[in-house]
Amino acid sequence: MARIGVDVGGTFTDLVLEIEGENMGQHRVYVHKVPSTPWDQSEGVLRGILEICRIGGIYPSDVRLIVHGTTVATNITIEHNGAEVGMLTTRGFRDILHIGRHKRPENFSLQFDVPWQSRPLVKRRNRIAIGERVMPPHGEVAQPLDEDEVRAAAELFKARGIRSVIVCFLYSFLNDAHERRAKEIIQEVLPDAYVSCSSEVANVIREYERFSTTAMNAYVGPKTSLYLKNLEQKLVDAGIKAHLRIMQSNGGVSTVEKCSKEAVTILMSGLAGGVMGGRWAGALSEEKNVITVDIGGTSADFSTIPDGKVKIMNPRDTYVGAYPILAPMIDLATMGAGGGSIAYIDEGGAFRVGPRSAGADPGPACYGKGGTEPTVTDAQVVLGRLDPDHFLGGGIEIDAELAREAIRTKVAEPLGLTVEEAALGIIRILNSNMSLAIRANSVAKGYDPRKFALAPFGGAGPLNGVALAEAVSAREVIVPPAPGITAAIGLLVTDMQYEFMRSVPTLLKDVGQPALDKLNRVIDELTALCRERLDDDGVPADNQHFVRIAECRYHGQGFELRADIPEGRIDGERLAAIKASFQAQHKRDYGWAFDDVDVEIVTIRIIGIARTRPLAWPELEDAAGSSPDGALMYERPTIFDDRKTYATPRYDRKKLKAGHELSGPAIIVQHDSTTLVPPGYVAKVSGKGNIHINAQRV
Amino acid sequence: MNPSNTKVDPITLQVISGALHTIAEEMGHVLYRMSFSSIIRESQDIGAGLFDLHFNTLTESEGSPLHIGSIPAYLRGIDACLQGGTWNEGDVVLHNHPYYGASHSPDLCIVVPVFWRGELVAFAANTAHHVDIGAATPGLIIDIPDVFAEGMLFAGIKLYEGGKRNEGLWQYIGHNSRTAKQTKDDIDAQIASALLGAQRMQELLDTYGKETVFGAADQLMDYTEAMMRSRIAEIPDGEYFAEGYLDDDGANRDKRLPIKVCVRVTGDSVEVDLTGSADQVPTGFNVPFEGSTKPACYCAFRAMLTDAALMEVKLPPNEGSFRPIKVTAPKGSIFNPIYPAAAEARFTQCNRMIDLIIKALAPVMPQRVTAGNSATLSFAAYSGIKAEGDYWVFLEVNEGAYGGRPHSDGPDSIDNLMANTRNNPIEDLGMHLPMVCDRYELRDDVMPGAGQFRGGIGVVKTQRLLTDGAITHESERHLDVPWGAFGGTDGAAGRVEIFLPDGTKQDTYAKFSNLRVPAGGGMAYYAPCGGGYGDPLDRPARLVLEDVLDGFCTRAHAFDAYGVVVTEALELDESATMARRTLIRLERRLPPLAEQGAAVVETV
Repeated sequence: MARIGVDVGGTFTDLVLEIEGENMGQHRVYVHKVPSTPWDQSEGVLRGILEICRIGGIYPSDVRLIVHGTTVATNITIEHNGAEVGMLTTRGFRDILHIGRHKRPENFSLQFDVPWQSRPLVKRRNRIAIGERVMPPHGEVAQPLDEDEVRAAAELFKARGIRSVIVCFLYSFLNDAHERRAKEIIQEVLPDAYVSCSSEVANVIREYERFSTTAMNAYVGPKTSLYLKNLEQKLVDAGIKAHLRIMQSNGGVSTVEKCSKEAVTILMSGLAGGVMGGRWAGALSEEKNVITVDIGGTSADFSTIPDGKVKIMNPRDTYVGAYPILAPMIDLATMGAGGGSIAYIDEGGAFRVGPRSAGADPGPACYGKGGTEPTVTDAQVVLGRLDPDHFLGGGIEIDAELAREAIRTKVAEPLGLTVEEAALGIIRILNSNMSLAIRANSVAKGYDPRKFALAPFGGAGPLNGVALAEAVSAREVIVPPAPGITAAIGLLVTDMQYEFMRSVPTLLKDVGQPALDKLNRVIDELTALCRERLDDDGVPADNQHFVRIAECRYHGQGFELRADIPEGRIDGERLAAIKASFQAQHKRDYGWAFDDVDVEIVTIRIIGIARTRPLAWPELEDAAGSSPDGALMYERPTIFDDRKTYATPRYDRKKLKAGHELSGPAIIVQHDSTTLVPPGYVAKVSGKGNIHINAQRV
Repeated sequence: MNPSNTKVDPITLQVISGALHTIAEEMGHVLYRMSFSSIIRESQDIGAGLFDLHFNTLTESEGSPLHIGSIPAYLRGIDACLQGGTWNEGDVVLHNHPYYGASHSPDLCIVVPVFWRGELVAFAANTAHHVDIGAATPGLIIDIPDVFAEGMLFAGIKLYEGGKRNEGLWQYIGHNSRTAKQTKDDIDAQIASALLGAQRMQELLDTYGKETVFGAADQLMDYTEAMMRSRIAEIPDGEYFAEGYLDDDGANRDKRLPIKVCVRVTGDSVEVDLTGSADQVPTGFNVPFEGSTKPACYCAFRAMLTDAALMEVKLPPNEGSFRPIKVTAPKGSIFNPIYPAAAEARFTQCNRMIDLIIKALAPVMPQRVTAGNSATLSFAAYSGIKAEGDYWVFLEVNEGAYGGRPHSDGPDSIDNLMANTRNNPIEDLGMHLPMVCDRYELRDDVMPGAGQFRGGIGVVKTQRLLTDGAITHESERHLDVPWGAFGGTDGAAGRVEIFLPDGTKQDTYAKFSNLRVPAGGGMAYYAPCGGGYGDPLDRPARLVLEDVLDGFCTRAHAFDAYGVVVTEALELDESATMARRTLIRLERRLPPLAEQGAAVVETV
């Protein structure tokens, strides 16, 4: 069979094709890039698929599986062009979405913007108050649902042409009967509408976050759903009978149908592939502790993967733009830093790099497209680390003189530095900013980077890998086989994954049999929901796996941490194990655990997983004692971070074989990425395709 | 200032700047994530940072603005009363004395000395607002006679000496707070945060050495100071005045209290002179000078002059922003009380003062100000006794609204000026305390100030007690209305309503102490609405219609204040609007009819 991973980025759509099995010839893997088509991502996706099939010498109809990483939903939030949404909410609480958490985005500002007020997901005119009341702490109904009001609101939405409707009632996580009934009524009036209840989208305590998530789902849902179904149809029309699967923010893939209904789960689809690809690269070398560093033109993303397990962000931290979104997302840190980041002197005389970016247009000064501000890429060119004649495989012409000129006038002269010193400074400040973000995602969360390998990828990652590893004290650097396309590879190495959650606030201190029964019942119900989804996807029972999580806090705290639920029905012993797991996590995250404070389970989360065989990367030919000179391209002067200039050989990565070792200074060039091996470091080519870079043993 | 005179290169400078900032953020993060009381974990009423041996702020986390800039005063206070007189490795100091620099007594400060290679080099410290420190009434206090009614006062006390906890003190705290368990666990969270800050600072020193780290810190302070000074220099030299009145002191209801602000700009320095403001009051409604009055003034200038929304990058948050600002308040005034006056309920006076600084400067910097803000806050303490006999105490911060601004409407229902907390989730409250929220939405009983950019709309929040309990409320501005600016109209005053189980309702004062409320009764808070900015007739009719559609504005208000005619079908009547607006403009040019000698005809 053949399968394809296709990841859509801002500039390029990246693809990877794996061919194997009967009648398909030898196992082989192809990678490819086509320009993205931002007006309709599916055009680029389709073109890329057809092209990579041709490159691989197969018919499009041979493709069985396509896994897609898409920024469609994300872009709707950035461009603010989602659906007009209607909302029903409990009377007295019409403005929960307008008030938010009543905290300003800035401490010291008078002219600040409040995005949830200036660009609301649901306009106030479409937020209709409904008579109904569910009471804490057990969910009893204090006021029945006023069905006439619901019907009148639905008619109003109908008259206004609104076809995306949400139902958000207080305490619906305790009792969802009113939300469900209201949904039925709306569907009677508006049979074709996209309707979602807060208890379906995020069945957890905290009204603002739950409503915001539901509103976001309704805002991005209709367009996302249209895009996915349109893509599905285009594939069919092109004779492709493959299953189409979508990467979710949590690093698992899911079906078009599910992602259409719960579009809020794919808001970070585009970023998740990179993390999964980084984990895969580590696994190629049997390295389970990996820090992934994905650096592109305008942004850099970092994630810490301990023991091969991708971490999920605390739900209290999952924001998309300014909106809290209670959908599981991979724990990653994103910052506006990359090859396009602009270096400048601010009005107080400080030397800054980013977050402003030259983007793709005009791009770095050296592109000669009119950019005059110096960027990180310009600094790399000045230092001789990026060769004008091999930039993007020679695909883009660059002019080193323009890079020098921009750095000289904008940075070097004002600071009284030489152009080379200024260029080194740009790289150093960039790396310092990035290493702080990596530390915040690792050290600050209780992980010791000295036990981790750093996997740099994305176009600009491998240039900075060693410097970043040094800055955060990572053990070694592992450069994946195709750094520029790692996010697409990530799509073919991830599992099918469904998640369900429900708030079941339970104090562990005085838990009785009824509370235990309730916990077990909720676990059973959520597990059954996962199983149903996996069954629908045709996943055989023996490949259905369930991860069970209790989100806990010390009684009285406001932030939960994840604890593992041991196998079997929860009893006293397993409760103790949950508590111990929570205590350990608390100690890891905060450096402290309380012995004498009661623990509370807040939310139960069940993740149903169908394991997938990860992409197999073809093994490299063995060097068999040969010298790497066969891969030597030429030698050029290059400035490294020690400020010295070295005559530095360039090697063609395609020609490097398993076991080859290169002593720094050296530069390894491939189509869309350049790997820097500084003096004092050795790069070793692994048979599995990775390059390992370590400090030279003295 | 710079002990080493090490000139750090511009690149290393940025590296250390980022590192310092990250340490402060990590300290703040651990503190609010770990803590128990909602005032810390949800409202994030905290501050955290690193300080040098001269008590300069090297860096601070983004906590609550009033905490920022207050810790140096604590450190100076501790210096004057430190137990044993010297700092030792392993010490943890607990401090909250308002006459030794504390911001106010519930803001407990935890200080850990940072030793590096055996030498004291810096301090890691944080402050956090505690729910109850055993004051005269649960949670909050207003009508009290002196500082000793504020509860436990700690002055330079070592909670840990050389790494060993003072068990006697720890036990003492356990018996002197209505929420002792919470208080002790929150203090633990503070200690964890300060220890982490100290450890990170040591790591930074290990990497770069003392000369470089402190050299860089000094340069960063100079940089921030220079930025602030260059902004002050843009303001024309001169004296700028504004004044307003506080409702009362929480006990003497007929006595309004003036706040007089003179902003004196001289070159690149500025002085805020509060001379002429009310004398200190006999209740807890006074403002500690060092720990609150001064940081509040710093906050005003940071928000106006180095407005984060108008800056490409944020300034390093350090001492440099405080240096160009001098604050003067006569001893014995409400902004500089004399011991032993109580001085716990100090927030609203500070916020009103900031609002008046903005008003004073509005004529010379119209692009950086707002119209009148709510400039208060609603701080409510709900309490009662649990079935098993323990106290429960819940502190709630309610938000205000902003005045209109030169390019945008005033934000609605949001923490104002010096306040910047998070609200406690309604559902979280309902699950854990015998209280239920009945209403939380925008006010519809009044309209905000009209203007080219309208004022923000205040919130209404109704909380009902499910068991017998008590409420203390600290708020302001039931009388002084937020002003309109540059032709905008005034906003609306605040209001508090007490309701009883039988349905009776009664408006009451903004401040009251330990009011007993039976089960089923409670309080509704109505926040003031901001004033408008610019002439309402300059607001595009289209936008007024949008506001009508969204219920931010009534049809009548659109007609009266904006001259915009919206039909019953909620459509814009453009020709009627043009006529109406022309008429209003015409009327404005004419003196009132009475002055023209004409008979005044009453029209309905």
